[in-house]
Amino acid sequence: MRYSPTLVDHFLNPRNAGMMREPDGTGESEYAGCGDLARFFLRVRYGRAVEVRFQTYGCGPTIAAASVASELGRGRTVDDLSRLTSGDVEEALEGLPEDRKHAADVAAGALRAAAHDWLSRRR
Amino acid sequence: MSRRVYLDHNASTPVHPEVLAEMLPFFAEIYGNPSSIHAFGREAREGVDQARERIARFLQVSPQEIVFTSGGTESDNLGVKGLASARGRGHLITSSVEHHAVLRTCQVLEAQGFDVTYVGVDAHGMVEPDEVRRALRPDTIAISVMHANSEVGTLQPIGAIGRLARERSIPFHVDAVQTFGKIPLDVDALGIDVLSFSGHKIYGPKGIAGLYIRKGTKMVSIQHGGEHERRRRAGTENLPGIVGLGKAVEVRARDMHAEAERVGALRDRLWEGVRARVPEVRLSGHPTERLPGTASLLVRHVESESIVLGLDLKGIAVSAGSACTSGNVEPSHVLVAMGVPLDWAMGAVRCSLGRSTTAEDVDYVIESVDTIVRRLRQALPVGAA
Repeated sequence: MRYSPTLVDHFLNPRNAGMMREPDGTGESEYAGCGDLARFFLRVRYGRAVEVRFQTYGCGPTIAAASVASELGRGRTVDDLSRLTSGDVEEALEGLPEDRKHAADVAAGALRAAAHDWLSRRR
Repeated sequence: MSRRVYLDHNASTPVHPEVLAEMLPFFAEIYGNPSSIHAFGREAREGVDQARERIARFLQVSPQEIVFTSGGTESDNLGVKGLASARGRGHLITSSVEHHAVLRTCQVLEAQGFDVTYVGVDAHGMVEPDEVRRALRPDTIAISVMHANSEVGTLQPIGAIGRLARERSIPFHVDAVQTFGKIPLDVDALGIDVLSFSGHKIYGPKGIAGLYIRKGTKMVSIQHGGEHERRRRAGTENLPGIVGLGKAVEVRARDMHAEAERVGALRDRLWEGVRARVPEVRLSGHPTERLPGTASLLVRHVESESIVLGLDLKGIAVSAGSACTSGNVEPSHVLVAMGVPLDWAMGAVRCSLGRSTTAEDVDYVIESVDTIVRRLRQALPVGAA
């Protein structure tokens, strides 16, 4: 298996999958190369993401990356999330093959976009 | 993971035990070069001759019309380039759903100055013989159309195309890698002049294949060296492979009909089961004119690769209809040619059944596909893809 046990676990049992009603922030990211995309929803209380949900379309690694990112995000400040990197997501997945790096980009990009959405709404 | 189910027989098959037994002496006991005139060489030559006769008997052709090659790709290359190069210039007709071994060979010929027409297919993946007729030109020098498509299993109207070719004395090459040894094939009735076939799709070894070349067909070789294969394909014969291919063909001649019926019923069971449980799923390919063991499923709004991965984790081997390389997903050229919309084509999964497939395997696959697709769709953005 070319994928880490953590990646396989998140692919098989995605955490926090599904949409959210009336979220405080939403964001999307798409990887044009293959059409993989992710959408994140945030519920924010006192500047922290108390609930993170996602929807995604893509290959196994993209689904796993979105799932792991939703776990990374919960409980963190939105400021923190606005700086989340692909590297953070990849590290949480215990690595990605060279030709699947886009999975972390899509997930991190969508979660950052959701954080920026909340930050801009607050202003 | 305990259970393992192999539903990728169009990609490759395990060597049949009878085939393996026949091959074994030809590694270390009978090892002479079939071209050598001494006793060692003569023993080896007998093995090659017997295999050639078995294949010729199966196809009801003469043994001199069979040439051994290293694989289906080489057979297709030799078939198409061999016919084109024998004429030096002119126009070829092929279809847009051929295997890349034919398509890319045609593209190379175009770069060398040949003209090629790629005829389209209908929504079932079938070539319309009238379209081939319309593509004919006075300088058409060869037609190449596959017998069955490996991805969707649609059988092409080879007989009708063969008649067109025959009326105009245009040599007709058929890539039969997916049908040879699976369904009956009569080269005379179908008007075939050159036919590619392979060993590892029919429980023979990998690295061995062949070409039937009708006597009198003008061909030039594409690989040069010794005088092997009546100067049509240079290189020392793959002795154990050839012996294995000959035996595989003999076994198929015996088992083919019963197995086609059994596997066809299992394929129907698979499709009926999936259709009953999974919403928004289609069977691609022709409803009746198709390979018995192939079920190409189109699962809307789900990406092939994630289904393949999910099934792999359950011990099930199938293949994806869209290929993702370095982050670029290309839907299969076959589904694109059939006009399958992108939101369906991206979720193409091919199941190809075979000798070892049981009803229990099929039921396990139905249940697993249902579980995986349900889970993948749960995380799906509405209207994505």
